[in-house]
Amino acid sequence: MKISGLIVLVLFNGALLRAQTNLPGEPSAAAGTNAPALPMPRPPTKVDSDTAEFDLARHEAIYHGHVRVDDPQMKLSCERLVADLPAAGGRVNHIVADTNVVIDFEDNKGQTHHATGDRAVYVYEVHDGATNETVTLTGHPQIEDADGVQTGDLIRWDRGNDKIYFENYNLIYRKNLNGAMADTHSPVPIIPPPVMVKTNDFPPGTVESTGQPAPAPTPPPPQP
Amino acid sequence: MELLHRALRHLTTGTHRARGWLTGLVALAAAVGLRAQSGGHATDFTTTEYYPDQKHVKSVLSGTEALPEPGGRLVIKQLKLEQFDSDGKLACVVTAPECIYDTVAGTANSAGPLELRNGDGKFQVTGEGFLWRQTIQFLTISNQVHTVIENGATFNTRP
Repeated sequence: MKISGLIVLVLFNGALLRAQTNLPGEPSAAAGTNAPALPMPRPPTKVDSDTAEFDLARHEAIYHGHVRVDDPQMKLSCERLVADLPAAGGRVNHIVADTNVVIDFEDNKGQTHHATGDRAVYVYEVHDGATNETVTLTGHPQIEDADGVQTGDLIRWDRGNDKIYFENYNLIYRKNLNGAMADTHSPVPIIPPPVMVKTNDFPPGTVESTGQPAPAPTPPPPQP
Repeated sequence: MELLHRALRHLTTGTHRARGWLTGLVALAAAVGLRAQSGGHATDFTTTEYYPDQKHVKSVLSGTEALPEPGGRLVIKQLKLEQFDSDGKLACVVTAPECIYDTVAGTANSAGPLELRNGDGKFQVTGEGFLWRQTIQFLTISNQVHTVIENGATFNTRP
């Protein structure tokens, strides 16, 4: 399939970096003292489901029913999650989350993002010394935040290059009643429902962290 | 997703341990079953398995009661299985208030809770109701599966 747009979302990069880095935890507040900040213990990651199966012959772990992954930096829910079991000392190289996939995460600016789709596939592979690590969201995938909603036929998060690719990119961003971009400092609340500006057939290019599209191409001169 | 990946990596490494535990459970429970069948039921039993060097303990299966039932089944109460690394370090622990081992079908199951945790307790899986099918190496936890992975959870992945 043709990739209609390459989108670099800096706002995701922070989350990526945070996710890729084994942070020791936030420093504790030692207000009024010169005591060195002590690392706070990181809350645990929890995976809950109705049922689970561990197929040790096929090297698979399968969670069914109301699957929830609760992590301090991310929350994921779906109806079915399958992970390949690695060999001893190896790593998980394939995870599939199916049906009503919802991923909520917070970037390094504290902005929340809400990604949804029918399926999310995590792949980790090494070819000729090069690491390829991606998360691909399909089935009406979209990413929503305070600025708007970005959709596509497919959204691929290339973790190695900290980029997100969209196929058939579509951007809907919110404006408040004054026409200004809605944000947490906006004097006018988004309610009643915001004006939605829909951008179709977004030209290939790069956008900044705000999710705003690159400048539209100059329209061709009128034909005589 | 990295966090999920990391969590699952811990989880799956833990399940490799589980395979060892449950294989040990079946073998050791069979031994207990043979003893129980010959002399009624066993109480407060402990069975120890050693590494090939015969010096280091590989696993310890204990229970408060082992009751033989018709059809080659064995009911084990207050099951506790401990698996050790070859250097003697506790690798993981499996506990269940009750477990039925079917020597004919090669299955172990219970409607009650199951808890599986690693040696330092930083990785833990619990659930209600389980079935272990030895022949196809398949563990099913039927209800309320909870996995908790604490930061710094480590697993000895040596074979």
